[in-house]
Amino acid sequence: MLRRTLLLGLCRGPLGRGLGTHRGGSILDRDGKMSEIKKKIQSILPGGDWNPLYDTSYLPPESSDVVIVGGGVLGLSVAYWLKKLEKPRGAIRVLVVERDHTYSRASTVLSVGGIRQQFSVPENVQLSLFSIDFLRNINEYLAVADDPPLDIQFNPSGYLLLASEKGAAIMENNVKVQRQEGAKVCLMSPEQLRNKFPWINTEGVALASYGMEHEGWFDPWCLLQGLRRKVQSMGVLFCRGEVTRFVSSSNLMKTASGEEVNLKRIHEVHVKIDQSLEYQPVECAIVVNAAGAWSGQVAELAGIGNGPPGTLQGTKLPVELRKRYVYLWHCPQGPGLETPFVIDPSGTYFRREGLGHNYLGGCSPTEEEEPDPGNLEVDHDFFQDRVWPPLAQRVPAFETLKVRSAWAGYYDYNTFDQNGVVGPHPLVINMYFATGFSGHGLQQAPAVGRAVAEMVLEGHFQTINLSSFLFSRFYSGEKVQEHNII
Amino acid sequence: MLKIIIPTAMLMPMTWLSKPNMIWINSTAYSLLISLISLSHLNQLGDNSLNFSLLFFSDSLSAPLLVLTTWLLPLMLVASQSHLSKETLTRKKLYITMLILLQLLLIMTFTATELIMFYILFEATLIPTLIIITRWGNQTERLNAGLYFLFYTLMGSLPLLVALLYIQHTLGTLNFLIIQYWAKPISTTWSNIFLWLACMMAFMVKMPLYGLHLWLPKAHVEAPIAGSMVLAAVLLKLGGYGMMRITILLNPTTNQMAYPFMMLSLWGMVMTSSICLRQTDLKSLIAYSSVSHMALVIVAVLIQTPWSYMGATALMIAHGLTSSMLFCLANSNYERVHSRTMILARGLQTILPLMAAWWLLASLANLALPPTINLIGELFVVMASFSWSNMTIILMGTNIIITALYSLYMLITTQRGKYTHHIKNINPSFTRENTLMALHMLPLLLLSLNPKIVLGPIY
Repeated sequence: MLRRTLLLGLCRGPLGRGLGTHRGGSILDRDGKMSEIKKKIQSILPGGDWNPLYDTSYLPPESSDVVIVGGGVLGLSVAYWLKKLEKPRGAIRVLVVERDHTYSRASTVLSVGGIRQQFSVPENVQLSLFSIDFLRNINEYLAVADDPPLDIQFNPSGYLLLASEKGAAIMENNVKVQRQEGAKVCLMSPEQLRNKFPWINTEGVALASYGMEHEGWFDPWCLLQGLRRKVQSMGVLFCRGEVTRFVSSSNLMKTASGEEVNLKRIHEVHVKIDQSLEYQPVECAIVVNAAGAWSGQVAELAGIGNGPPGTLQGTKLPVELRKRYVYLWHCPQGPGLETPFVIDPSGTYFRREGLGHNYLGGCSPTEEEEPDPGNLEVDHDFFQDRVWPPLAQRVPAFETLKVRSAWAGYYDYNTFDQNGVVGPHPLVINMYFATGFSGHGLQQAPAVGRAVAEMVLEGHFQTINLSSFLFSRFYSGEKVQEHNII
Repeated sequence: MLKIIIPTAMLMPMTWLSKPNMIWINSTAYSLLISLISLSHLNQLGDNSLNFSLLFFSDSLSAPLLVLTTWLLPLMLVASQSHLSKETLTRKKLYITMLILLQLLLIMTFTATELIMFYILFEATLIPTLIIITRWGNQTERLNAGLYFLFYTLMGSLPLLVALLYIQHTLGTLNFLIIQYWAKPISTTWSNIFLWLACMMAFMVKMPLYGLHLWLPKAHVEAPIAGSMVLAAVLLKLGGYGMMRITILLNPTTNQMAYPFMMLSLWGMVMTSSICLRQTDLKSLIAYSSVSHMALVIVAVLIQTPWSYMGATALMIAHGLTSSMLFCLANSNYERVHSRTMILARGLQTILPLMAAWWLLASLANLALPPTINLIGELFVVMASFSWSNMTIILMGTNIIITALYSLYMLITTQRGKYTHHIKNINPSFTRENTLMALHMLPLLLLSLNPKIVLGPIY
């Protein structure tokens, strides 16, 4: 009681600033010894898990019902919805294994952060619609007692997709599908375009679609931290380690038509601790593969793809790392505050960043000029050769821009059809996927998390039917292809 | 009596000297033979007891418990085969030795004549159980569970030692056969109240009584299957047995002193049953249901009427078999799905129909379906407590309803409904598992044909 009034009273006052108290600390505990002693006593008293031999608090628990490989936005979203949708509260124990707690190479935080409903596949539109509803009401979903509300800095400026003559018919079709699902998109002719956005050069543009509501960009780091905080408050355990092995048992079973299949189930996950040879076997009932760009490697660990090619056993998870560059430039004469997220027919895109005439943008390279995904080094020549010319052609003001900085991030690129993989694997029956979204994973993460949680808890998709996104499409060959995607 | 004790003791060298592929077969077969020998104890002469020596005797109260103990060892060995298959040979032999040692100590406890010997063996049973829980348990929390188990029981039973020594000093003997006749009524003074408390607390903790039951869910959940089985089936009954023996010395103080414990038991019965309805962990649900059933036994022993003693004895045997069977069923689930959460393994009836039949029988026995001895026990206790005080019928009735509710909840959640996607390839039921369930169910069903064996000395 006294400590709290001291904190409240002195935080603002000169005494508080002078002593350099950090949030949660008190004057009486300056060098941290008190809290150390308290922690020691608490660990010995019954009620804590005390190992008399050595400290094992950095190790994951020895068993967990669900192990989620990957702690990015998709993994945390699955964890959140699992804890939210479980029927008796606190029934399922969830463990999130994340290799890098600084998220230095994770796709989530290196993302440009846009969200749009302008897809051609109806399920994608539904996913984005639910996600924007989640983001708009984020403080109702992710509220944690005593913590400040989240501000994801959502800029509802909309997306502007430009189409040339050839793409105009497809764009019209897409807009029809989007409107059917409930997105608010309007089609603009070049003249309307010039009226609304005078800084655009409409040469070569036959049609444009502009999202009027629920589209824009937000801060992915804030969403990640909000999810992390909420998920920890719901009782999900975090572990810093790398999954190195899956121990599974398999059963030879016969299908209804009499053919034999070998069904595997993973019953142990070996989590290796960073910079050490130590690993902890975690006994589990369900594994969720949300490892993003590295999902292909995790799937290989589980034995997915070990078999003669052309069979279901031999079908690998076609998710691989692809490097993409994002450049930040400054252009004082550039387009103003109303600038939407513009996507050029050539594949170049840009958006406004902040209020100081800064813009973010980039371009998807073609298959031939794919950069080497070994590291996250930025190639500035790419900007000069491939991004700037179409940009300057589309927005003449961008002829005099100055690049401030750039970074590179990975796409969890699905080489099959560039759309996500969701749901269980047909042969490794307790591995669920939530990966492969090839650049639009962040914007669909809340909805995908809910879909996977429904699949795990109920056995089928309840709200959004993602059965066309199941793994089996890689074997049967049914592509779910987007038309016009970056 | 030596015809049971010596073979049980010799099971240990037999385990160590067996060939590696014969340890399970040898130990299971011979322990089954020993249990068949112990069946002869059930042939009790009327009112009196069978006295084998100065040290051992068995009467109609301890004979069923003795048979239950010896019957349980082969069942424990059959149940442990799967989870020990990956251990080294020495560890396996060590585990079996612990179980045999525990069995030996329990046999001697139930047949001890002298109360001090009973006490020593009562404490000694803690050691193998602690070793089984902390060494072979599943999670890191097992260390915590072992600590709780050990210290709760020790704290409760230390005063018992003092009390027994005092009684030995005043009465002159602690031989059970003699104190039956020499017990004098004790007045209700403060020191006698403390004497009463000292005698009873050890058994209250063991039963467990509602306020002192914290060790039970922990110990049951963290213990391996054999540990859970022996804990639920036999170790809890040590408390009941001890209470029934020692209350002979404590009249008429029991009439006053029993009130707080009666209240705790009656209330705790309903409370722990309600907790069962909210449990998500299968083993935890069965553990709390054990507390609930044992609370009935405490009520029965404290009332001290003929019918309540009959009900308590029947309930102890019935609960031992039923609870042990439920733990075996939960373990068969756990070995397949590697998770104890109920909602993650649903709809098992479509995949494992024979196991569903055993689940059904066990759940029906748990909710005291006629004509099982579970019903006989519960009914006798309810009737006796009604005659003690009419108001208890409300709580007892509530408890019976809630017991039915959670037993059926457990059955429906695990067996009915659509199965989840990730349990499609679980192994079908092994013959070993079906044998295990059959060996649990068979005595239970046969006893419903002839329940007078388990109705205790008053019958």
